Amino acid sequence: MEPQQNKELADLLGACARGDRVAFARLYEATSPKLFGVAVRMLRREDLAAEVLQECYVSIWKNAGSYSVGLSAPMTWMTSIVRNRCLDSLRRPRIEVPLARNDESGEDSLAAVPSEELGPLASLQRSNDAKALAACLAQLDGKMRQAIMLAFFEGLSHSELASHMQQPLGTVKTWIRRGLERLKSCLGED
Amino acid sequence: MRYRDKPALQDRLAAEYVLGTLRGRARTRFERWTREDATLRRCVEGWQTRLNSMADAILPVAPPRRVWKAIEAQIGSGATAPVSRADSSRAGERRAGFWESVAFWRATGLVASGMAAALLVAVAVQKPQVVQVPVDRVVEVPIERIIEVESTRMQPAYVAVLRNDAGKIAFLAYANRNSNELWFKRVDMGNPSGDMGYELWGLPTEPGGKPRSLGMIPKGESGTIRLATAADQALGDMPALAITMEPAKGSGGTATGPMIAKGDCQKFW
Repeated sequence: MEPQQNKELADLLGACARGDRVAFARLYEATSPKLFGVAVRMLRREDLAAEVLQECYVSIWKNAGSYSVGLSAPMTWMTSIVRNRCLDSLRRPRIEVPLARNDESGEDSLAAVPSEELGPLASLQRSNDAKALAACLAQLDGKMRQAIMLAFFEGLSHSELASHMQQPLGTVKTWIRRGLERLKSCLGED
Repeated sequence: MRYRDKPALQDRLAAEYVLGTLRGRARTRFERWTREDATLRRCVEGWQTRLNSMADAILPVAPPRRVWKAIEAQIGSGATAPVSRADSSRAGERRAGFWESVAFWRATGLVASGMAAALLVAVAVQKPQVVQVPVDRVVEVPIERIIEVESTRMQPAYVAVLRNDAGKIAFLAYANRNSNELWFKRVDMGNPSGDMGYELWGLPTEPGGKPRSLGMIPKGESGTIRLATAADQALGDMPALAITMEPAKGSGGTATGPMIAKGDCQKFW
């Protein structure tokens, strides 16, 4: 998200907080395809993703007043709402959609799963924030990067990562912890 | 709490919370802490800013239309429909036809003030395939349900298109000039909650003239309102109609509630 888009989305959120339904419709129009993409990716089922998206926008409408300009960008705030809700949904036992493994056949789902190669990094070039993050991810060891991306994109827990990557739980936890530390220092913020 | 004096632990938990690897009871507990602790919230926001741009790598997917409809239903009536990217490209093709038809009706001089009447005319008179007018949801309900098209010859009638504050069409009305039945269709208006109702008014020409109550609008997508007199007497001197929110039993003759929609009422003959 570039500054101009951020400003526009922040203005729309501000208008939503004042009960402006037209602004809310515009906000939905501008952001729902991206957030639906995030939910579909994490939940791997469009029907569940649609349910989550609906709940999230109702929540965004109700909580627009609590969005504070300056703390985080509008898209960051809304993405967090959607990812949190997806993680809640994944926590429920009824949802058991297998993640395609890299060593399985079935090319469609294969392509979507981050491997040790850069994969989705290539498309992670759309905003300045994303470029900086992609550069830092590229500096991580392959396994570390893969673990972090699987956790982010697919919503895998530590134990799911361990089983998917066929590594001991402790190893995967260490990769995640160190990987995150390195990302932070690479991004140069504190 | 153990985490409070350990900034490194706080930051690690915040990072794994945002990444999503903090799960189960640990996640719930952490969420509770963030509600109570502003420093922890800032840690979380820092990590959201760092990591969430990863989502830029995910290709956008247009959500099904029913999602917006469900959201609209949940947050209450009055929201206007967004046009999603996918839909707008398709609607765009049809839209040209609609605007052309408006231009046509305007050019013929049949309609003095605007597309309001032209819309209904186009819908009522033209052939069925032309009825595919892309004005959002106008087309979704067969127009026969609200307009009697006995033949291709028009019956002299009053037509009105009422718009809400956002300029979206909210309500359509139609009455044959000699009939005291006014046909209506809600387009984007919804039903008021609880013991409130919508009242339809005729607005007189002269400034300060008293609006005339035409009756309460029954619930439902479409239906009829029984006018006290034939449309010619009820609407002939009322160049515009308006809708206000009133107690369900009616205002008693003087509008008290907020105006929901308003629009010109045209003679069509």
